[in-house]
Amino acid sequence: MENTTLAHHLLLAGLLFALGLTGVLVRRNLLVVYMCLELMLTAATLALVAFSRFNRTMDGAIFVFFIITVAAAEVAVGLALIVALYRRRGSVKSDELVTLRD
Amino acid sequence: MISSLANIDGAFKALAPRNADWASILPEICVAGLALFCLVQAMTLPKSLRWLIPTTARICLALVMIMALQGGTAWNPAEPTVFFAGLTKLSADSAQGIRLTFLLSALLTSFLAARFFKERPAPIADYHHVLMVVTAAFMLLAQSNHFVTLFVSLETAAVGLYVLVGYLRRSQASLEAGVKYLVAGGLSSALLLMGIVLVYGSLGGPGVDSLNFDQINTALAAALAAGKGSALTMVGLALILGGAAFKLGAFPFHAWIPDVYQGAPTPTTALLSTASKAAGAFTLLLLVTGPFAPLAPKLAPLLAIAAILTLLVGNLAALATTDVKRVLALSGVSHAGFLLAAIAAVVIAGASDGPQLISIYLIAYAIGTFLVSQALIELPVADDHHRPLLGLRGLLRRSPILASALGFGIGSLAGIPPSIGFFAKLLILIFLAKLHLWWVFGAALLSVAISIHYYFAILREAVVRPTDDQEEVVPLEVSFTSRFLIGALSAATILGSLLVFRN
Repeated sequence: MENTTLAHHLLLAGLLFALGLTGVLVRRNLLVVYMCLELMLTAATLALVAFSRFNRTMDGAIFVFFIITVAAAEVAVGLALIVALYRRRGSVKSDELVTLRD
Repeated sequence: MISSLANIDGAFKALAPRNADWASILPEICVAGLALFCLVQAMTLPKSLRWLIPTTARICLALVMIMALQGGTAWNPAEPTVFFAGLTKLSADSAQGIRLTFLLSALLTSFLAARFFKERPAPIADYHHVLMVVTAAFMLLAQSNHFVTLFVSLETAAVGLYVLVGYLRRSQASLEAGVKYLVAGGLSSALLLMGIVLVYGSLGGPGVDSLNFDQINTALAAALAAGKGSALTMVGLALILGGAAFKLGAFPFHAWIPDVYQGAPTPTTALLSTASKAAGAFTLLLLVTGPFAPLAPKLAPLLAIAAILTLLVGNLAALATTDVKRVLALSGVSHAGFLLAAIAAVVIAGASDGPQLISIYLIAYAIGTFLVSQALIELPVADDHHRPLLGLRGLLRRSPILASALGFGIGSLAGIPPSIGFFAKLLILIFLAKLHLWWVFGAALLSVAISIHYYFAILREAVVRPTDDQEEVVPLEVSFTSRFLIGALSAATILGSLLVFRN
């Protein structure tokens, strides 16, 4: 633990963020897409905590609490929408969302 | 140990909110209180008195609007003042315009919603509750001076809007639009957050709160002067501006707009295209003139190019569309282009009347959008998300007042003199010409010309195209409230231009 630097933390956060972004763009199941979105938020939080630690400012660490709260609210509404859509059509595949078109 | 704790206590006391801080956001507190009051009413009132909920909401919103327009009060300080230890900042020249834009959108959405949900199985009280929360969040967002305020109020508004877009739980289209908005919005807020984190980390250091806009401005200027604007800062900045551009619906972040606007219940579509777009415009203006001002020479061409592309992409896509709500959505993209052009001009000139220009444009756009939406929701349709141009045929014979609402609304959106929309566009074009931004000026002028084509295709269908004589024309009943609203808004499109001139 002694020789972990800021770069290590940022590398991990960047990998998680890229993983989440790839998932959002590639996966077709809406629940998985939503999990990947949450992964991106978590990656940003990890980078925030690392910066807060290595810059020696507390503001970032406090910001994390707000992010967690906001993410929880977003999950509550998001899952409700996805479940309602599943009840209505019996599927959560994003490529079957074709009601809206010109 | 004890002495350091005593120091911490002192630091907390210095940062603790004072009475003046709370007074500065009194209009927002009133709107948030109104949101709770809607829920209390829904719990306590018997079913026969439920109609009171929208009525009280509207009266209170009108009162808050009068309150927000009072100058020289705690919530309208004479000069830019920072509140809540740097979390929010109120500036005299924009606070009134910002609040008026959001309160007006909420008031008109309430009228639309009351009419819209009368014949649909969805509760009106909850809609008003979420609407008020979103409005209060937008009003706070436009005066934030710290990334925590910005992120939290942006997300509060976004989560509320997910609910409002997917509000018709039995309608597949509404849910589909809600889920699409959720994924697009979630992606944009994750990118925005990553941007905030990168800016915070790359500019921060001991004793610097690099989430505060003023301190970011200082740190960024110092870093640029020392010639070490790091790549991390630039990436973060781009991600943050992208998040604001998503709200505004600017190219290349406009892909979600047609589907979401088409599927959302029509009152929500009107709210999205006015309040949400206004929030994007004000936030973008706040960011490029506040924390990122030291980078203005680099940002201005970027914004100008984005404005040109947004104007052209929105208009060309709208040309190829035949669904009325989709046409309005894509024309909204081109209106976002106008706003971006104004923001680019403000960045170049540093003009202090820029925020007013943007407020006037947004209010003109809101009046036009709500007139058209009012006409749309009065038309009986099987599916709210399916409104082909053909459905408007013979509207003049069925209901002259709805046809005139459509006429005034579209006239103002397209910028036909002497409507307020014309003067709003003219002021921005003059502003661009003064700064010799000829490329943006040309794109804006071209987009007005193209927009007249598709706007008048809607009007032609409603007014000019004949109906078959054998076809029975069913007159439409329009309620007194709707007629009053249409009259008031139509008058506003003409009289509003007088107000623009007075200033």
